[in-house]
Amino acid sequence: MTVPEDFKTRLKIAKSKIKNQVKSDLEKKGSFMGSAFKLGTELVAAVAVGTIIGFILDNWFDTKPWLIIIFFFLGAVAGLINVIRTANRMQKED
Amino acid sequence: MASNPMQQFSVHKIGPEIKIAGIDLSFTNASLFMVISATIILLFLFLGSKEKKIIPNKIQLIAEMFYTFVAKMISDTAGSKAKPYFPFIFSLFMFVLFCNMVGMLPYSFTVTSHIIVTLIMALFIFLAVTVIGFAKHGFKYFSIFVPSGVPVVLLPLITIIEIISYLSRPVSLSVRLFANMMAGHTMLKVFGGFVISLGLLGGWLPLGFSVALTGLEILVAFLQAYVFAILTCIYLNDALNLHH
Repeated sequence: MTVPEDFKTRLKIAKSKIKNQVKSDLEKKGSFMGSAFKLGTELVAAVAVGTIIGFILDNWFDTKPWLIIIFFFLGAVAGLINVIRTANRMQKED
Repeated sequence: MASNPMQQFSVHKIGPEIKIAGIDLSFTNASLFMVISATIILLFLFLGSKEKKIIPNKIQLIAEMFYTFVAKMISDTAGSKAKPYFPFIFSLFMFVLFCNMVGMLPYSFTVTSHIIVTLIMALFIFLAVTVIGFAKHGFKYFSIFVPSGVPVVLLPLITIIEIISYLSRPVSLSVRLFANMMAGHTMLKVFGGFVISLGLLGGWLPLGFSVALTGLEILVAFLQAYVFAILTCIYLNDALNLHH
């Protein structure tokens, strides 16, 4: 009469497996949010740094609006490159 | 009662004012909570490594878990060459994690919600990684700004873009941690304020939100410490193993 015993343990193992599955799904969702934040700041930071560099260079060379405009766009490009690189890295991890 | 949600971030002096060479070095509540976090880490790791049993007790188990977690993170992202930097990354991770977690306690102060704290940490990492890169590779380290396979015409433009991208590292590293912590704590306070102002009738919904947000904030506190440490590993990897 070991069959019901056996069935019970098997049920228990199956249930715990499902529980673990759900848990890891939840953890994944958390890390998705983290990666979304990561990509956002990556983009904004490069634009900010580019603009600041442009502002400083403008003050140095007395070329008021031009370098800040150029470096704003260069910063945006650098931000996009950062985002693509981070995304590539994330894909490699999975 | 502090009803202003930004009140929790105010820094004030504790004890006498200390001024050295015109710089205000007084002990503030921010310094107090840094000391508290560091003391908790030291105490926790001391207790965890005191007995060294083969079958660990609970506190030793948790300390070992942190150790293997960080060790695995470093070997996965930066390889075996980064082993000598384990103590630095481990202390960095533990400090950020415990500052975030201590900040989750009521009436406490979140050190990492101030940009100056995170920026100094990020700038230190940035400078250290740059120095390590130059020490390991000499002038060849400049090749990090020149990706391979780029036409000569585009090279100056790409180099400027790469330099901007390199300089944006400490900014993104520090802003991410600071913005996450500050936004989360402000939101908690705002929902807490709703509970009070809506009273017994309508206060239950924001109370539920507050409970859910607290859980989310604990997740974010851990996640941001993890992200901070793993990005340090990635930057270290770029400096140690020079390739793209």
